[in-house]
Amino acid sequence: MLTNQDHSFSKSHPCHIIVIILSFVFSGFGASAQAEDTATVATYSSDISPAVDLPPITLLAVDTDNDNGGSITISWDDAGYSELPQFRGYEILRRSIQANAPVLVGTAPHGSSSLVDKSVSDDTTYVYYVAATVGEERFVSDSSSHVQSTWQIYNTTLTPLLIALIIVGGSVIFFIETAKRGRKLFLRKIAGLEAVNEAVGRATEMGRPILFVAGIADIDDVQTIAGLTILGRLGRTIAEYDTKITMPTRTSLVMTAGRETLREAYMAAGRPDAYSDDMVFYVSDEQFGFAAAVDGILVRDKPAACFYLGTFHAESLIMAETGNLIGAIQIAGTAQPAQLPFFVAACDYTLIGEELFAASAYLSEEPRQLGSLKGQDVGKAVAMMLILAGVLIMTLASMWELDTMNQLQQLMRDLFSLN
Amino acid sequence: MGESVIGAWIAAFLTLGILTFLYKDNVIYKISEAIFIGVSAGYWFITLFWDNLYRKFWVVGIEGGQWELWGGIILGVMMLCRLSRKIGWIARWPMSFIIGAVAGLYMMLYFTSNAMVQIRSTISNLTESVNVGDPYYIIGNIVVAAGTFSGLVYFYFSKEHKGVFGATAKVGIWFIMVTFGAAFGYTVMSRMSLLIGRIDFLLSDWLKLIS
Amino acid sequence: MKRQIPMMILSTIGTIFVLAYFSPGLEELEKGGSIFFDVVACFAFFLGGSNLVRVHIQKIARHNPGWGYSIVTLFGFGLMLFIGLFKLGNPLGIAGAPTEPGSWFQIIFQYCVAPLSATMYSLLAFFVASASYRAFRAKNTEATILLVAAFIILLGRTQLGLVMTSWVPDWLSIAQIPNLAVFIMTSPNLAGQRAIMIGIALGVVSMSLRLILGIERSYLGSDS
Repeated sequence: MLTNQDHSFSKSHPCHIIVIILSFVFSGFGASAQAEDTATVATYSSDISPAVDLPPITLLAVDTDNDNGGSITISWDDAGYSELPQFRGYEILRRSIQANAPVLVGTAPHGSSSLVDKSVSDDTTYVYYVAATVGEERFVSDSSSHVQSTWQIYNTTLTPLLIALIIVGGSVIFFIETAKRGRKLFLRKIAGLEAVNEAVGRATEMGRPILFVAGIADIDDVQTIAGLTILGRLGRTIAEYDTKITMPTRTSLVMTAGRETLREAYMAAGRPDAYSDDMVFYVSDEQFGFAAAVDGILVRDKPAACFYLGTFHAESLIMAETGNLIGAIQIAGTAQPAQLPFFVAACDYTLIGEELFAASAYLSEEPRQLGSLKGQDVGKAVAMMLILAGVLIMTLASMWELDTMNQLQQLMRDLFSLN
Repeated sequence: MGESVIGAWIAAFLTLGILTFLYKDNVIYKISEAIFIGVSAGYWFITLFWDNLYRKFWVVGIEGGQWELWGGIILGVMMLCRLSRKIGWIARWPMSFIIGAVAGLYMMLYFTSNAMVQIRSTISNLTESVNVGDPYYIIGNIVVAAGTFSGLVYFYFSKEHKGVFGATAKVGIWFIMVTFGAAFGYTVMSRMSLLIGRIDFLLSDWLKLIS
Repeated sequence: MKRQIPMMILSTIGTIFVLAYFSPGLEELEKGGSIFFDVVACFAFFLGGSNLVRVHIQKIARHNPGWGYSIVTLFGFGLMLFIGLFKLGNPLGIAGAPTEPGSWFQIIFQYCVAPLSATMYSLLAFFVASASYRAFRAKNTEATILLVAAFIILLGRTQLGLVMTSWVPDWLSIAQIPNLAVFIMTSPNLAGQRAIMIGIALGVVSMSLRLILGIERSYLGSDS
């Protein structure tokens, strides 16, 4: 509890500096809330006489913006107390309007002018006080107006992100719809995806299996899902060619999802009888235990084609190099920039980052899926234009100091919240 | 013989077993691999069991009164329906739940941290030095902006890589190759130190040839 | 029906997570989702574990090639389950953490899994060498650029790089290998990474929308 240290020096003063002895504040909180909030007593200490000329601290307590409630921001105008030689800091006090006594919610050092109180409850109304501690005394402000924290349903700082998402997402949906209406859309060929059928064909000719690894991450990774969507397309071709597929998995959930995906692919190819759960099996959650098992499969079963599509870490090269040694045709794809060089060095084809996510749509050859790729190209075009225009504007604005350029530069900064 | 001596012999056998794979697949590698799979799968199962099922679900959820965790167990039980042929299709519900959450969440996370933040970082004043004391900062800034631009051209699907567009895409893939080279070069040393670590184990911990 | 409900679940949950991003308090949803996932993953392990046992028992029963190794795998798996579930040899008994230092469970991990894992990891030293050799033989522009960049970065991290180009005058300091390595890391490498990252983000947005809109559903399984 906060109490004033020395009551003996308290006396009234004509300059109306509001210096509240906290114990008096406590006793002042009586029946009427309004009366309590304005209850003040002017006191001063003789050894800090300059304070007598200072106006009271003014403060503002508001609900913190763009949060999920439970937070109030208090800001204050010091009025000069911090310049006093014996200034020790601020104390921020809070009182629920139903309660009599305020509680200390935080302290703030010299130079600070705000504090966020995260210990509030959304269903309570509060008033705040800020006390400047000078020597042994506390100069307490008037109470703030009533304030209550609330949850803002929409975070306004994310508006530029929302606009960007609407542009990209809108383009994807627009082109999906355009493709659905039958408009032919051009997409260039991607070598790695062109080679998929060749790889399956080769395995069929050689009478050897295909190895599919959907990465080492669990199903809660978007790259694993990308790998599985490709498996869906690939599985159909494998079923049609009547080739054998082996899919070891590092986690149980990927095993379950892999089985669902392959079963669907075999159904779609009209060969449900050829499907067996044994095609997809769990090995071990241990990263290198899984790698050891895949290496074993590679050297013993000698698959003719290997697919590594998903999230990979250090084991990428262990698998891909072993696959290379047995002469398999290898197609890899990941969005892990650190592993891509190893796949590039050891595999015949590598889907780099974005190509991994586009692969399933490419392989499906369905107009709607291809339309979505066209939509993401719009996003890329916007990104390129923004980079080009942004760099030019920022550079020219700094060189020429023209008003228009500076305005454009400011617009850029606002749009992307640049410093 | 103490536990650590027997342990060191087992560890040495397994270490050599894995290393023999470099020569060719053989019985010792196969034994090591079989031990690795069995023991590590068991290790993970027990860790998951005590950490997730017991501690998170039972202690925090049931005993701690966090009943919302029941959602997780309902999804988990649905997942186990896969063990039955008749009601196996129910397992797709929790799967859809997870995939839906991943799709929604990752879409936003990637879009914010990969797209927006990277574009924002690239839009800069070319005459401004980012690294203090770098005399080549202007060249560096130009290279970053031009490289990012041409790299994006490489990924563009809707246009054939021909003419000026093709040439820009070519420059783009060169930049990407430099990125790959940098990652490659950066990793080589650490990979070498891993091998040195294993040799050190064999020579000092096992054979005690080095003190 | 067996396909429609999962589709609806996916679309609804996906949309909620997208909208929640724009609303403060996402952390709660993310945390909740993560706990749900942990519990589901644990249940799913019963599927994986039972599959592991079934596959190896089948191998043994059918006397498939290498069935003897399946006995080793099953023994290892069973041993860890037995010791771990009953916390045998745990200094703190059943109340202790399974990985308590000195417990049998931890000792087996320390002398089996840890060295196996470290050795498997160390094989990369050889594989990196063979991959580099292959890239060296590729003789196309891309592979050459990759190798040259890798070589400069590698040299830049060693004393040799410093010695090799110490004669280069200061006005051409960028040609000194350590400086060149820094330049590569901070400029062309950064550019390539940014292009890859922006591309990935757009790819993820597009794929996620395909999933949420129900266009991509190959993962969902059949109606059977």
